[in-house]
This record gives sequence, C-alpha cells and structure tokens, in this order.
Amino acid sequence: MDGERAVSTEPSESTAVVRGRDLVRRYEWGAAGLFGDDAPPAVRAVDGVSIAIRGGEMVGIAGPSGSGKSTLLHLLAGLDLPTAGTVTLAGTDTADYGERGRARLRLEHVGVVFQRFHLLPALSARANVALPLVELGEPKSRRRERATELLEAVGLGDRVTHRPGRLSGGEQQRVAIARSLATEPDLIVADEPTGELDSETGERVLSALGDVADDRAVVLASHDEQALAVCDRRVPLRDGKRADDERDADGTGG
Amino acid sequence: MRRLSRVRALVAVAFAQLRHERLQTATAVLGVAMAVLAAVLLAGVGIGVVEFGQQKFQQSGQDLWMTGGPTELRPGTVGGFQNSVVDSHDLAASVTERDPVAAAVPLLFQTVYAGRNASEFRTVVGAGSPGGGELVSISEGRGFRGGDVHYAGGSYDGPMTREVIIDRRTADLLDVGVNDTIHLGGTVATARENEFTVIGISPTFSRFVGAPTVVVRQSELQEVTGTTASDRASFVLVRATRGADVSALESDLTETYPQYTVRTNGEQFRATLRDQAVVLLSGASLLVLAVVAGVLLVLNMQLSFVFRHRETLAAVAAMGVSRSSLAAIVLVYALFVGLLGGLLGVGLALPGIELVNAVTVRVTGFENVATLSRRVLLGGFGLAVLVSAVGGLAASAYLARSNPLDTLR
Repeated sequence: MDGERAVSTEPSESTAVVRGRDLVRRYEWGAAGLFGDDAPPAVRAVDGVSIAIRGGEMVGIAGPSGSGKSTLLHLLAGLDLPTAGTVTLAGTDTADYGERGRARLRLEHVGVVFQRFHLLPALSARANVALPLVELGEPKSRRRERATELLEAVGLGDRVTHRPGRLSGGEQQRVAIARSLATEPDLIVADEPTGELDSETGERVLSALGDVADDRAVVLASHDEQALAVCDRRVPLRDGKRADDERDADGTGG
Repeated sequence: MRRLSRVRALVAVAFAQLRHERLQTATAVLGVAMAVLAAVLLAGVGIGVVEFGQQKFQQSGQDLWMTGGPTELRPGTVGGFQNSVVDSHDLAASVTERDPVAAAVPLLFQTVYAGRNASEFRTVVGAGSPGGGELVSISEGRGFRGGDVHYAGGSYDGPMTREVIIDRRTADLLDVGVNDTIHLGGTVATARENEFTVIGISPTFSRFVGAPTVVVRQSELQEVTGTTASDRASFVLVRATRGADVSALESDLTETYPQYTVRTNGEQFRATLRDQAVVLLSGASLLVLAVVAGVLLVLNMQLSFVFRHRETLAAVAAMGVSRSSLAAIVLVYALFVGLLGGLLGVGLALPGIELVNAVTVRVTGFENVATLSRRVLLGGFGLAVLVSAVGGLAASAYLARSNPLDTLR
C-alpha cells in the first residue's frame, strides 16, 4: 500500500477479509409503555448497509457526525453485533461467538486505532505495543522484539522506552498504530485516527499507517477529507445508510 | 508456560501502575497501614489485658472469690465503691472454719482522701486488708504485724494501729516515704483528724486496681470511712488447703451462702470483663471500623483508577485483551498496596505498642499491659491482604462486568 492508490470496487465473496451484509444496528432507548402500547424510541444507527473489504485495501467510511461511521466500524471489528444482517470476519460469522470468543477473534484478527490513542500512561511505548501479545501468552523476549520492530517501522525506534506523557500526539498515535499491528491482524479499523492531530502530523500518521499495513485490510472512519483522500475506496454514509447504495446495494460489488 | 508468561506480564503492568501513580499509591498504602496499625494495637491491647488480668488473678494466691455483686464506682456515696459483702469479718471467719479452707479474708476498696498535711488532699484508692500475712508484698519498709485489733470482735473499740502501706505512686504523689505520716479519711474532715504512719511501700494493690493505693487494716479503713455499721467488704478471698478440691469447695460455698456469688480466679476475671462490656464492644467496633475503612479506601482507590482510565481500559478490551486480564491487573495492583500497607502497618505497630504501654503506665500504673505476639502481627498482615483483596476484587468485578462499547460509544 502506498500513498497513490488506485480506485477499486468492492471485492468478491472469496477475497474479502471482512464482509457485512444488510447490516442493521438499532438502539432502543428507555422502555416500552406500562401496557406495552408504546414501543420504546429506537434509532437505526446503521440501516441496511452491505460492505466488503479485501486484503491490501484501505477503505474510508465517510459521513458527517451521527451518520453511523463508528457503529459500522464496531460491527465490522466484532466489537458489537448487528441487530440484523451478518458480519463475516476471518471466514466466520461474528454472531456465532459469545463475548469472550469475539474478544479472542479481535485479538487474533483485528487491530484497532482510536482517535484518542488510549495508551496506558504507566507503560513505555514498547510495553504498550506489546500489551496485546501478553494476552496471547507470548514470552517476554518475543514481545520486546516484536514491539521494537513495529516501533522502528513507524519511525519511533528511538522512543521505545518513552512513556506516553513524553511523546507528542502524532508520536502517540504512531505507537497506537504499532500496537494495532502487534498480533499481525488481517484487518485494521481506525476511528478518526487524525481527529486529535494537526493536518501535517495527521498526514505523517496516515502515511505511517499506509506503510505498515502491507496486505492487510484497513477500514478508516473519518470526516476528514485529508484522511479519506489516502484511501483506495470511499464508502459514504448518511443517516445510517450507504449514500452510494444504488451502485453497490448487495455488497458483492463488482 | 504461556500462562506463566502472561501472569508475569500482568504483574509487571500492575507494578508499573503502582510506581506511576505514586501519590494515589502512597495514600492508599498509608490508609491500609493505619487500618492494620489500629487493628494490631487494639488486638495487642485486648489480648494483653486479658493475659495480664489472668496473670494477676493467678498471682493473687487465692482460689475463690465471694462477692455480692459487681464492685463498681458509685458516685455520690462516701467511698465511691459499691461494696456488696456485709458482715464481712463474720463471713470470713465462718468460711475459714471449713476443712478445705486455709484462709478466708475480707478485702475492702474505698476511695479516700490522702494528704501529707491537713490542708491539701488527693483522692486515692484505700484498700482494707485484714492485717499480716502474705497478701501484701513489701518492696521497702515492712508489712503489717499482728491482726486487725481495732475490729475487736465487731465492737470496733480496739486500738487503732494507724499504720499504712502505700504504693510508689502514692509516695511520689504525696512526696512521702517510710516513717512519714499522712492524713487519711472518707471525707476531708475525717482525713484532717486521722493521721497514719507509712510503714512500707508495696506494689500489690496498685497493680491490682491500676491507681495510687494506700493499704490500712480493714476495720481502720471502715472507721475512717464511716462504714463500720454493716462491716462491708468488696470481696472475701478464699484460699484452699493444699490438694483440696477447689470446685467441690466452690459448690459447697455456693450452697451454704446463696446470697453470695462464689467464683474461681478465671470466673472472677471473666465476670470483671463482662462488667466492662461497653469497653469491649467499643474495642470490637473500632476493630470492625478499621477493617471497613481499609476495604473502602482500597475500593475507592481502585475504582478511581478504573474510572480515570476507563476509556483506555475499554480501548484495550476492544483490542481483544480479555477483561479478566484487566481485572487481574487491578487486583494485583490492590494486592501490592495491601502488601506494602501490611508491612508498614506491622512495622509501625512495634513502636506503636511501646507508645501505648508508656501511656498506660502513666494513666493506670500497669506496666507492659499491651503485648504483640507473632500471631497478632501475622494477623495484621493478613488483614491488610484481605482488605486489599476485597477492595481489589470488588473493583475487578466492576471492571469485568462493564462493556467497553458503553465507554467507547
């Protein structure tokens, strides 16, 4: 993956790393009326979206605040389950797993990058990157080696022992990107990864993400044009629906 | 191997957290240490008082105690003590006539005014002893010689020996020594009229009551406190002959004198403790409060940690790190705090108990009442671990139950 990406279409069934089909995520607020006569107020955060992403592809989910970008990202990452529709990740339906199973699925197949970095302040950059490997029970030597390697890959080879408090915002986000790659996932989801950064730093972070993603599928939710510009493909959302629905309604693309 | 590696890594993360949040950690460690200190000192004082009391009762050389009720302070009366045994000389004589009884002597406690001169008085405890014998041990001067001659078979017209044995604290309080004279009486007016000669210094009764004490013959104490009419005493102490069956004697005396309660040393000590139920309950309440405060402190610290880092913990959980791992970090962090607090609390308890004993000597005159056994120290340390484990487990359970999406949404 490099900065110059060709415009691509949705992948076929066999080549997709992650696929969402007819996804609906409805949130109900409060409870039904005392006599069941009033249905609780409901919001369809995602409403009938189909999407598929192949390895090596960076897809940008675009849309204004409240359009359902983050919810769609959570569904694709197996963080949340759809009210209707299916998400197939690493060849399995995420709904087939319980809470623990999905956590393990995410650990092995999904890397997550957040807008606010979310690094543990007590740990060094290297220890933060190595944290997901702890869960896999990797030995210390392997964890250190892998974390150092990833930090060097994002240009922070000289900051491995620094705690987050001593790193700039851009550096912290690059540590978070390195952390998302620690378990060598097939899919990376990034929710507004440049939201807390100035444009120049944001550009550098996106460049680092593109450089280290290799053949992994990357889904990036953002309303930042600069961030979306580096993506191979853009999926616009509005009111929980795909704004380009008429082009690719079934998610099989072409 | 993988599990061990994971556990070691989680412990390392918890330790890093401990070092990073120094102020919070120090506050929590100090709080746990205070809870441990309070619990250990209370236990040390409680156990020490029980052992000390049992020891004193055993050292009294008596086998049975006859009383008519609790010996307690009674404000508003001359003498200040409620002495429930009446006709005590006759009772003691009657008991002494029994075969398995070597000796039975009445013992009277009254609050009296004591002064070096007739113008300045201090209140001390007056103990009425029947006379000679081994009841009072002498450290300086001599003991009583001869019996309670003033009693004169109940007529109280025998000569007053006007001899008094005092303890070291009374000697210091009144600035007197052996062969000096002091004034004694149940009222200031009576004390002005009654002079006694100090013939000896004895620690016996002050050790027993924990206050400055003067010992005079019982009938002379009754005379100067105006209690000759009913010949009252606090106890009648009964010493059995060597090899006698003390419990059979106890049953016999109980049957013969149903108006009195007859107790062995152990029973009398337990009865004394029961009379102090409010004090005991206060001690137990303080102990429970110390434990509850410790648990709440650790819980508060851990929940505060979880709350401050809730987004980061949710993000780490979102990446697939199990919530049980995150809960384990919180629990291990709490246990570290407990271990440090336990060590500090136990460490502080050693000089703390010395301080308690120093204060106790000044206030009551009892030396080395509070003791710290290895069992108490280990118990205190265990309490710290328990307190932190409960606090840590509660915070861990909260973290394990929370859904990362609720925070990240």
